[in-house]
Amino acid sequence: MEDVLNEICSSEDLKTFELRYNEEMCQGEVSSTTQFEYACFLVRSRYPADIQRGVVLLEELYKRPDETGKRDYVFYLAIGNARLKEYQLALNYVKGLLRIEPANRQVLELEKLIKKRMEKDAMKGAAIAGGAILGLGALVGLGVALAKKH
Amino acid sequence: MSAGPYNYSYIFKYIIIGDMGVGKSCLLHQFTEKKFMADCPHTIGVEFGTRIIEVAGQKIKLQIWDTAGQERFRAVTRSYYRGAAGALMVYDITRRSTYNHLSSWLTDARNLTNPNTVIFLIGNKADLDAQRDVTYEEAKQFAEENGLMFVEASAKTGENVEEAFLETAKKIYQNIQDGSLDLNAAESGVQHKPTQPGRTNLNNDSQQNRDNCSC
Repeated sequence: MEDVLNEICSSEDLKTFELRYNEEMCQGEVSSTTQFEYACFLVRSRYPADIQRGVVLLEELYKRPDETGKRDYVFYLAIGNARLKEYQLALNYVKGLLRIEPANRQVLELEKLIKKRMEKDAMKGAAIAGGAILGLGALVGLGVALAKKH
Repeated sequence: MSAGPYNYSYIFKYIIIGDMGVGKSCLLHQFTEKKFMADCPHTIGVEFGTRIIEVAGQKIKLQIWDTAGQERFRAVTRSYYRGAAGALMVYDITRRSTYNHLSSWLTDARNLTNPNTVIFLIGNKADLDAQRDVTYEEAKQFAEENGLMFVEASAKTGENVEEAFLETAKKIYQNIQDGSLDLNAAESGVQHKPTQPGRTNLNNDSQQNRDNCSC
């Protein structure tokens, strides 16, 4: 099912905003608006390298003085990090937002979504580890059986 | 023919658009949770909601993207229009400026969605009749001139909220049935989820019937 952690933007959209960012970069200064828009699309890319780049751009924006959009940057930092499976970091950003707006439903929903994703990944990890142990056991068993045969 | 309670045969994608503070998120919340959210903060980017409804005995899952109304998100939210089967365009009956901006929202909706996208105009905050700044008649006329469906609704009392979402779905469903909406088009905003093979196919276009395709 689609949600904010797995929906993907089109590559054409990403290209459009990349172009705009690069143009401003060439002229020497990238506006906050352009950088934020580009970062929002990067974070929604299917490629982790793009998401990582989006996260870096958002962190840079957050450090700029006099930014009115800090709340938005932090929200997208939470999304980006969650998509990179940096769940703890993502949850820290969510916590920061909730400290200021404890009842913000959109943020609470995101928190729920990240935790769900985290659990699912942990289960998957456990299943893989379990499978490996089973496989190892089978190999040992086979070894023992073969040894006995000889 | 009856599907289980958690099964559905179609997914319809919706978007909710309109100026900041007209109550888009509150309408979504009222529709999905049947509750009114008092003082709700500005949406960041987009919010996502779902609900399964029934139209003509068919279970349909609505995937709703509620967009931020703030100008700074316009570029981001525009990217969610593509592939929407339904667009709910909202203004606030107590704030004329939100009504005046409708033509700009409508232009975006027309340019960024497909010609079959059902656009439904909602005049929200109908409970605040004493502070009304836009008459029902003029909005009705605007809707008629532009071929939009229209109601005045209240996310607070719940009046007409259900109707707006359901009427949009009915219209989309009707477009599927009469063949004007091609389900195989990439951006129809509708996904068919055949849950029971051998069930009567509603899509009459038998040449393109890929119900039993296992790919």
